[in-house]
Amino acid sequence: MNKNSWIIYASTLCLCGLLLLAACNKKEETPAAPAASQPAPAATPIDPSTIATVNGTVKFDGTAPKPAKIDMSQDPACKGTNESENIVVANGDLANVFVYVKDGLGNRTFDVPATPVALDQQGCKYHPHVLGVMAGQNVEIKNDDQTTHNIHPTPKDNREWNESQPPSAAPIDKSFAREEIMLPVKCNQHPWMKMYINVVKSPFYAVTDKSGKYEIKGLPPGDYTIAFVHEKLGEQDQKVTLAAKDTKTVDQSFKASE
Amino acid sequence: MPDKPTPEQDPITSKSYAAYYLIAMVILMATLFWALWDEAWGQRPWKAFQEKWKERYSAFLNTARSKSVTSEKDVEQDPEYAKLKAQYEKAYQDSKPQAEEARRKLDDASARLLAVQSVFTDRRAYVNALTYELETSTSASAKAKKQKEIDKYKNEQATVEFPDGSKKKFTFPQLEETYSEIRDERTKLSLELGDVLKPVTAAKNKMDDYITDHMVDLTPQQIDGLKKTAADWDPKIVQINVAEAAIVDRCESCHLNVREPLKITAVSMEAKGEKKPDEYANAFTSHPEPELLRIHDPDKFGCSPCHQGNGRATTSVEKAHGNYEHWLWPLYPKENTQAGCQNCHAADMVLVSGDVQFQTINTGKDLFRQRGCNGCHRYEGYDRESEEITSIMQQIKQMDQEKRANVKQAVYLMKQADEAETNEEANHLNDQAVALRVANSKLDLRTVQLERTTKSLLQDVKKIGPNLKDIRLKLNKNWIPVWLKKPTDFRATTKMPNFRLSDHQIRAITAYLWQSALTDPLPKQPAGNAAHGKELFETRGCLACHSIGEGDQMTGGTFAANLTRAGEKANYDYLVRWVHNPRERTRPYCIYEKKDIGPEDYAKHGKPYIFDLDHSRCPNDGHELQVQNMTVMPSLRLSPEDARDVASFLITLKKKEPSDYPDAPFMDDPKLKAEGAHWIRQYGCSGCHEIAGMEDEGRIGTELTFEGSKPIERLDFALSTEIAQRGGKNAEPIKDAEDLARLPDGPATKPWYNHKGFFEHKLAEPNVYDRGMVKSEAEALRMPNLHLTKQQVLALTTFLMGSEETSLPTNYQYRPQDYRRDIQEGWWIVKKYNCMGCHQFIPGQQTALMGQQRYIDNPEFLPPKLLTEGARVDPEWMLSFLSNPALSVTDTNRNGVRSYLQVRMPTFSFSENELGKLVRFFQALSRQPFPYIPDMRPTLSTKETEMARSLFSSTAAPCLKCHATGDAAHDKTATAPNFLLAKTRLKPDWVERWLIDPQAISPGTAMPSGLFKKDGGQWVFAGPTPPSFQGYEKDHTKLLVDYIFQLTPEEQRKVAAAMPHAKAASAQPKTNHRQASAESGHPTSGGTR
Repeated sequence: MNKNSWIIYASTLCLCGLLLLAACNKKEETPAAPAASQPAPAATPIDPSTIATVNGTVKFDGTAPKPAKIDMSQDPACKGTNESENIVVANGDLANVFVYVKDGLGNRTFDVPATPVALDQQGCKYHPHVLGVMAGQNVEIKNDDQTTHNIHPTPKDNREWNESQPPSAAPIDKSFAREEIMLPVKCNQHPWMKMYINVVKSPFYAVTDKSGKYEIKGLPPGDYTIAFVHEKLGEQDQKVTLAAKDTKTVDQSFKASE
Repeated sequence: MPDKPTPEQDPITSKSYAAYYLIAMVILMATLFWALWDEAWGQRPWKAFQEKWKERYSAFLNTARSKSVTSEKDVEQDPEYAKLKAQYEKAYQDSKPQAEEARRKLDDASARLLAVQSVFTDRRAYVNALTYELETSTSASAKAKKQKEIDKYKNEQATVEFPDGSKKKFTFPQLEETYSEIRDERTKLSLELGDVLKPVTAAKNKMDDYITDHMVDLTPQQIDGLKKTAADWDPKIVQINVAEAAIVDRCESCHLNVREPLKITAVSMEAKGEKKPDEYANAFTSHPEPELLRIHDPDKFGCSPCHQGNGRATTSVEKAHGNYEHWLWPLYPKENTQAGCQNCHAADMVLVSGDVQFQTINTGKDLFRQRGCNGCHRYEGYDRESEEITSIMQQIKQMDQEKRANVKQAVYLMKQADEAETNEEANHLNDQAVALRVANSKLDLRTVQLERTTKSLLQDVKKIGPNLKDIRLKLNKNWIPVWLKKPTDFRATTKMPNFRLSDHQIRAITAYLWQSALTDPLPKQPAGNAAHGKELFETRGCLACHSIGEGDQMTGGTFAANLTRAGEKANYDYLVRWVHNPRERTRPYCIYEKKDIGPEDYAKHGKPYIFDLDHSRCPNDGHELQVQNMTVMPSLRLSPEDARDVASFLITLKKKEPSDYPDAPFMDDPKLKAEGAHWIRQYGCSGCHEIAGMEDEGRIGTELTFEGSKPIERLDFALSTEIAQRGGKNAEPIKDAEDLARLPDGPATKPWYNHKGFFEHKLAEPNVYDRGMVKSEAEALRMPNLHLTKQQVLALTTFLMGSEETSLPTNYQYRPQDYRRDIQEGWWIVKKYNCMGCHQFIPGQQTALMGQQRYIDNPEFLPPKLLTEGARVDPEWMLSFLSNPALSVTDTNRNGVRSYLQVRMPTFSFSENELGKLVRFFQALSRQPFPYIPDMRPTLSTKETEMARSLFSSTAAPCLKCHATGDAAHDKTATAPNFLLAKTRLKPDWVERWLIDPQAISPGTAMPSGLFKKDGGQWVFAGPTPPSFQGYEKDHTKLLVDYIFQLTPEEQRKVAAAMPHAKAASAQPKTNHRQASAESGHPTSGGTR
């Protein structure tokens, strides 16, 4: 065997050995650096010099059904008269319509107000009948009657609860975490007592008053879908484009359902 | 090298073999290295998995750690936590001077001890050595010498240098004494320090506990522990070895995170920058149902008993998963995983863990019964009643023969005795004759017992299809052949499968059915009010089982028939009888004589023609009769008028007129009858229907109890074998579009030559394996097309795949003997009668009624949830309620408890057997002791009664506003049961819990929570309490419970009268349960009880 073959042989051996070593000495990879934890998203700032307003009136087409009288004699503590608030119309203006910006805000987030929204029980009736609240914001529920009520929301997407509130008991503070429109609330002891809470993610909502009017302020410019929701008459949407500092009027009318 | 001329022909120089050697050497070396590599890695793919795991798991833990730190910080910001922290700091500051002093003393003592110790141990060692020498010395002189030496050593003075620099000399005994003194001192000091620090430690523990209690994830310490385990990991086979069950599972060698307490998804195990989880990421997930692992400890159950696969294999993923031809039990595919449950849980009808239902396998088990599979296929545990009845009938027949033989033999023996030669012999023979008579009376008693069992069984045994003996009374004759042609054309959701019958088969079958059916007269019924019937139909709860409307318009349950076209097929008079009481039978059937008993049989024996559950003996031979229709449909206790109204409504439901069906005169052709009988037997119709003359036909299909463990060669793929093995473009033999849509994974493209493929194809299109075969009508596959949906095929396939003969020891089978057995047996009944169509048994479980608009609007009008029923009601009461839900014998057209509900708890006519099982089921489900022994309730003093009364009727707790009182005017608005029922119906402990938080017992109930609050250790009323409660120290809840349990009708009337506008209760509810159980149901019509 000549010198060359020895060299070749030896080098082959070394090469194989090296390969083997390389295969065995797989380097320990350094563990990935801990990912930075995400802070809770802060409210998207809105430039106060550009904000726009939407307002309008909601009308009821056709003759409004006469509100049904409610017999409250079952409980003498329920003083006064009461009538059904299903459809409240005065001079063709429809009250208790929940109006909110359904679409167009993109990924904006908003601060949840620290002050609660009030819900009163007075005269065995809810005040207001339709309520808007931001997700996570507290609803402060008071009982001004000399009778016991129970507050029983029956939500679709939030958690259900049912709590008793005796006369002059401390207010009950509750909040809802998820968006839900026309979430029914009732009192099992006074079957006529019914109201609706609307839980939304933005502060851009309003409820029409007795004259059917609403106003949503502080909107950044943009293209929006405004939804009008009524407990019995359903939902209607309208699109609106707001430029900076615009004030636009968006009216809506509901037809009597058959 | 020597300098020599080389010869010319020197082979060494002329021809070199170096190249060959080199090649050989390279090959050899390559082989060597390959062998080494293969040994280390090739045969051990799990090593690569473990490397990857180390890498990715550590990376994952790092991110988990940082998240966990933030959440810990969140918890630390709680005011509660701040309070604990302040307490801790105060305790720390308070104890500081004392603790420091104690610690200083302790340190000093320790130092002194150390100083003494080093000298002392030295010298003690020397003394010990000398003592040993003394002990081993042989001579007395040597011993004495050694003793002297020891004494001398002990008296020597040793110097100890103390930490403060002072030096002292000690003899050995002094040294020993000093040493123990200082040691005792130190122990005392450290105890003292512990005492001083006790409040500090306690405060610190409270703080730590708060964090652990309020953190959802693991604490940083726990995560650090996991990280260390991962970092220190050495490649090794991880193995579960259970000798008693012969389980050796090495699955965890790759699936390293299976038992991880953190939830680990494939996405979180991805390598950085990769888009899709690779095989490693998928292997490193944690078990998706950690609760299951908790119940089935992997160290006992391993992995393969549930998942299948080859647990021992470690050389490749395919082999470990058993996906190769030499392994009989390949891993269940993901969608069929629940098949594994069936291996041990075949005796369970419902598998649920917490509130998680195992939907796939549960649906499979349910479908097997609901679609009548067990009408043709035996399956261990299903349809036990009919098997038991058959076996009892055989026993009774045998005993009858034995009795006759005994009588004969006795007569013979007595005759022999009379003629015997000696008195002795005569006496002996007479004794034998007497013994035979006694034996006969024993047999009689045994028969009585068996008859009793039979009675229960006859009540329990049901058929999935209707009784075809009644078709002449019940059906539009011309509709029958049209129906048989393809039942789904008439009613898309029917349970009746499509038998692919030819026209002449239909003619023959209908001819037999028609000509063999009963022709008894049916009373004519006047027409009812269809509008009222519609209202009743929609409100009484019919829609919990039945549906109405087709396609998207369908509402109601899927348990029973869709009634949209009922008017085309049904006869009104029969329908009235059916709606009034579906169990009412035209003629009783004697299973002993095997015939329908008519009035002539009763007349023969001079008996009136009355048969029902209380008159269930055969007039001919005294054996138990089948007196009910074998349907699960209960009686809704409608009045005859209401029944007519409902039937009048149902008869209006039609798409075309009954008269539009073409005439079917062949049904009266007697020549067709024999052929019809042949085809009925051929297709096993009597598996699901009662058919005259076919009552004892056996099942025609193969037993399926262990179908999943049949070797694949025994599953006949017929001409599809090759395409099933090969896969590819033409792998799918099913051509029919409807049938193709039933395949869970769509048309096959991959090879499907396995159990899953076989079952799925067979269920989607049963006769798929007849494709291309030349078969006569009699040879063609008999199994009908069950027109299943994808999900149903998936569920049944899963069920069949799990139907295996397990190799596990019997104690692995879930066959409990305690309360869990009651639960197991109860579910079969609950499912049998569709109790879950109305009631919620498992939190979150949807009932058929819940989805209907009427109940979405008014959920308080739903039937009650039964989540804690066993803890709520007295079992004895429950027994009486279940046998008669009206709680009355006379006033039956109502609900006994919730009279305010329109939906009706029907009368199911449960047998003694099923009643007992159901009551035990509910008690077991709530873990209640059985039997139930009620506590003695304390009698309230006059003062307490007054207090309770004032609370009971205060405006702040207006109990009677919602609870019924029995006064019709008041009860119109009632939404809760009458308190007078409480005493016999409820368990007091449960009532107290209910008063405190009803929402936790029945979520969504009209009864509000928050009526009581905890004040110190006492439950007090949350509203303003009447002044008499001043200074009352017992729980207000207990007081109210005791009051409710001693409430009398007079008391309730008094309270109600005092309450404004809640009028006096005029009547007490119709029952008290002892009365009810004593009187429970002796109706005259067949079937109710």
